[in-house]
Amino acid sequence: MLVTKNVAELCSLLIDELYGELPSRIFSILLTRGRSSIPQLVQYTDMSLCELRHGLAVLLQQNLLFYQVDSNSEKAMYEANTDHAYNLLRIGKILEMVDSSFGAPAKDVMQSLLLLGQTRISDLVAAYQEKIDQAHQKLVKEEADPFLETNGVNGDSHAPKRLDLVIKTTAQLNSVICRLVEAELIDVVHAKTFLTPDDIYRDVEKEVLDTHFPGGPKGGKAKIELEEKIAEGLRKVRGESKSLKRKLEQNGTAAKRRKLFSGGGLSNGVHDVELDPALDPKQVIRINYEKCLVDLRNRRLVQCVTDTIGDTTAYVYGVLLKLLTKQLPRCRSDPMMDITEDDKDDCGKGFVTTDEILDSLKTSVDLSVGLGKAAKDKFSSRAAEKVSGHPPKKKIILEAEIDGDASADEEEEDEGSESDESDSDSDHKPANGTKVKFAGVATKENRLDRPGQLRQHLLLLAESNQHFVRHCGYNDWTVDFVPLMDVLREAELDSVIERKSGRQGLRLVRILRAKGKLDEKTLPNLALMKKNEIQQKMLEMQTAGFIQVQEVPRDNKADVKKSFFLWFVDLEKSINTLLDTSYKAMLRCVQVLEVIRQKEKDVLLLTKRSDVRGRERDVMRKEYYDRYARFQANEKKLFAQVMRIDDLVALLRDF
Amino acid sequence: MAGDEDDPAKIQILKDALYDAARENGSEARAFSQKDLLDFDIIPADNPMLLLRVVQRLCDDKLFVGITQATGLAWRWRNKEDAKKYTSLPNDETMMVYAVIDEAGADGIWNRTIKNKLNMHEAVVKTCIKYLETKGYISSMKNVEHPNKKMYIKANLRPSERATGGPWFTDGELDTAFISELTMIVFEYIKTQSAYRGSQAGGAGAAAAAGSGAGATKVPKKGVIRGGIDGGDSTSSSRGVKRTATDMSTDDIVQQQSKHPTAATKEKPKVFYPMPAGYKHYPTVTEIAKLIHETGITNNTTLGEADIQQLVDVLHYDGLIEPIRVNGRKGYRVTRAAKQDASSFQKRQQERQQAGGVGLPVGSDDLVGPPPTANGLTEAPCGRCPVFELCEEGGPVSPSNCVYFLQWLGLASSEENTNTLAGGATPNGVAGVAAVPGLVV
Repeated sequence: MLVTKNVAELCSLLIDELYGELPSRIFSILLTRGRSSIPQLVQYTDMSLCELRHGLAVLLQQNLLFYQVDSNSEKAMYEANTDHAYNLLRIGKILEMVDSSFGAPAKDVMQSLLLLGQTRISDLVAAYQEKIDQAHQKLVKEEADPFLETNGVNGDSHAPKRLDLVIKTTAQLNSVICRLVEAELIDVVHAKTFLTPDDIYRDVEKEVLDTHFPGGPKGGKAKIELEEKIAEGLRKVRGESKSLKRKLEQNGTAAKRRKLFSGGGLSNGVHDVELDPALDPKQVIRINYEKCLVDLRNRRLVQCVTDTIGDTTAYVYGVLLKLLTKQLPRCRSDPMMDITEDDKDDCGKGFVTTDEILDSLKTSVDLSVGLGKAAKDKFSSRAAEKVSGHPPKKKIILEAEIDGDASADEEEEDEGSESDESDSDSDHKPANGTKVKFAGVATKENRLDRPGQLRQHLLLLAESNQHFVRHCGYNDWTVDFVPLMDVLREAELDSVIERKSGRQGLRLVRILRAKGKLDEKTLPNLALMKKNEIQQKMLEMQTAGFIQVQEVPRDNKADVKKSFFLWFVDLEKSINTLLDTSYKAMLRCVQVLEVIRQKEKDVLLLTKRSDVRGRERDVMRKEYYDRYARFQANEKKLFAQVMRIDDLVALLRDF
Repeated sequence: MAGDEDDPAKIQILKDALYDAARENGSEARAFSQKDLLDFDIIPADNPMLLLRVVQRLCDDKLFVGITQATGLAWRWRNKEDAKKYTSLPNDETMMVYAVIDEAGADGIWNRTIKNKLNMHEAVVKTCIKYLETKGYISSMKNVEHPNKKMYIKANLRPSERATGGPWFTDGELDTAFISELTMIVFEYIKTQSAYRGSQAGGAGAAAAAGSGAGATKVPKKGVIRGGIDGGDSTSSSRGVKRTATDMSTDDIVQQQSKHPTAATKEKPKVFYPMPAGYKHYPTVTEIAKLIHETGITNNTTLGEADIQQLVDVLHYDGLIEPIRVNGRKGYRVTRAAKQDASSFQKRQQERQQAGGVGLPVGSDDLVGPPPTANGLTEAPCGRCPVFELCEEGGPVSPSNCVYFLQWLGLASSEENTNTLAGGATPNGVAGVAAVPGLVV
């Protein structure tokens, strides 16, 4: 992750928010100073060794640090893990996602894991055991987690109350963990987890060089071989965190458990749970954000389809995505590790069949809703069912014209007769009326069966200009995530432009995107706008970083008056600018929260008192309580906003 | 022979014959080469010398214009009235200036270009132009591409499209009101033709009504903007019956109404659904052009398909519609169909009129289509902050003094009255007392 000043500040603030000032200060020092050892940190931070160790322990526990132990001096060097620090923001979203797709018990486990950081399974079990015991003894007094209450990140201060209902036995806990491990949402912490990717790469490279190429790689072939070996080594390291999952999969009951699980997480009886093998209590587990992101991406895509097509189609799409990404370990494949065919093994067969989708659809969903209807002869089933076996080549999606032209021309000839015939058909349709009209009865007669309806939704998705789905075989469907996400990124950028510079600004940007570099003179004609308006808009957007200008001198003298000024769009740059703007906006939200906190300090201090806490409404004076309530509302709003911006960041950066 | 050739009467006859032959054989734009002229068989024995004399006489009378082509010298004929104008001019300079302007044709010519071409003194050119203008032979014109240049054109010509800027310009100005109205109509048409208008509840009756509506989409519809500023008057409509633009979106319903009077009275909430894949009747540019043509919305401007394409492209760039190819037929469909405003065109038109009249808000973008999508950034004050670049802790604009955030959080006004609450919530109230001064400052 590229660490800009804004990201660094944001991460430190987040840590401050969640784990207090001490870790936050150490973290920000680590960010500014880079990799440091403890003596160095002592010097930088003016903290006592004891404090420092405390802080580092917290950071390590929460996986916010990388460290590397030098084999000679046996001294550890620490480095900030900004990715994980940023991921703290997504806690709420991940919990919600787990809740909706795995049920409340899973959410509860995830929540505990998020609070505890990486945890040994035995510790987790013990923690739960204690809680269960307490519940059994009807001890209502729960040790609520202090920070959960004071800040609204998780927004779930009722958790302790429901807790005793959610996880009833340790066996259930075990089964929940098993499921989460299978879904890869939880993985195992191992020795190399705390090495930076660069360190891992170096280690692997060294090892490969030592064992396979003692004299160094010679010639092009050897170099390629070396690369392959390194990639393999890296994959192995990465695979280590999946050891628990592999163990579970070796167990014969895995399939059955999964079946039970997909049948509805909540209905698990105790006896079902017993089937799960006990997990090695010594294993240390943590949340796997990479996989969580895959699920978050699915949600995002579904949301996008809801917006562009409709609810029912979006639901179908959600099911498709869920099936498709079950085995997908991460959103973006690593260019170094996932070069070739190994990739395929990782993410399963790479497509989903119609039947699979049909089997997973809820029966309560009416698939006939959400699609337009018209007479059969108004459709070309051949065009709709067009199968494209290969992922699209790069950079054709948005300007579909290039692509469309090329492929459509071929079709034009062979399909010409068919379309002609039906065109003439439809021409005299209005005359005899009945053919077109869908009376209530007729609709029912023409109504497709459920697989047919499903197919309609899928075809619609495939036909969309965004190419949400690729129809890769008669009954096979897949999603090309990379180009699709590019399209979505662009759409997101567009919506920001539209909001900031108006629809006309968007129009100009999109013209530039379609046509490449353009002189100012050609723009008015294309955009049908006044010249001076365009000039104004262009300048405005240039300052906002949406478009760039290039000066091309006409001759050697480079006379400014005679030079051409070409406008163009640098998508990459715009997106990066937007990303940093987003970070900054998030940072500002958190900072504003801090400002408000300062303002309402008196009230907040009051609520921290043990005799006030928990019964604020009764104890506090009305004015004070109102202020407290308003503060809480604002806090909620600000954090919600941060989450919303994170949606954007996730799309731009991670998906 | 010699006397024969010199005979002015004979030359006169030949001259007239040649002129008439040229007129019959082509327009004023056609260039006749020497061979063409000889092939008229007017000049006896194809005598080039005789031809030369005759043509010379014609040129002197300004009835022929000599031009140089790639193949050599050639001539065009000029009609007699124009020729008379030339001959009536007092001096050669004026004639030359007039010739240059004449040559420029409908595109017009810049006065400085005249000067440079003829290599004359500015004052001379000026007097010539003045003379020609007072005579009514030429007139000044405006070119949209160079609005500041003084251009001249022959008085009896209309400025070319390039000079006027095509149908989108009125008096040299981009007619944004016209464009936005027309864009709206095109969008409305595409919207109603490319998406299925169904009722949300999916009741049988409503579905039937809407179903037939969607079925009847092939019929080109008539639409005239009510009270629209351009071509709104229905007198241009040949049918005589004024039909409002609402018919464009609700034509189906109206037709339905005639059969079942009750169908249209109880309106259910309508939404648009996307058409299933492979739909072959997404409107094409040709269809849209036909619609615009047939409705006569643009009563004194003719819009070609290319012009409509321009409009459609703009809509595409605006992200309101998207091209879609089915079987090689390039149609357009509305984006985000489900989010489109499904209320009738008429209703919205009325709302607009109440809000301030048709065609008024030229700059306001949110006339057509659904509101733009929002994301977290644009919703937060920062996404729209004009001084975002300057915002820095410790700077003139910073999170701690941000007014936009306070507004957004609703804290802007009722902030500073807290100092009245000097007491705490509890008897000792230490926290409250201690913090309030800090709050006021």
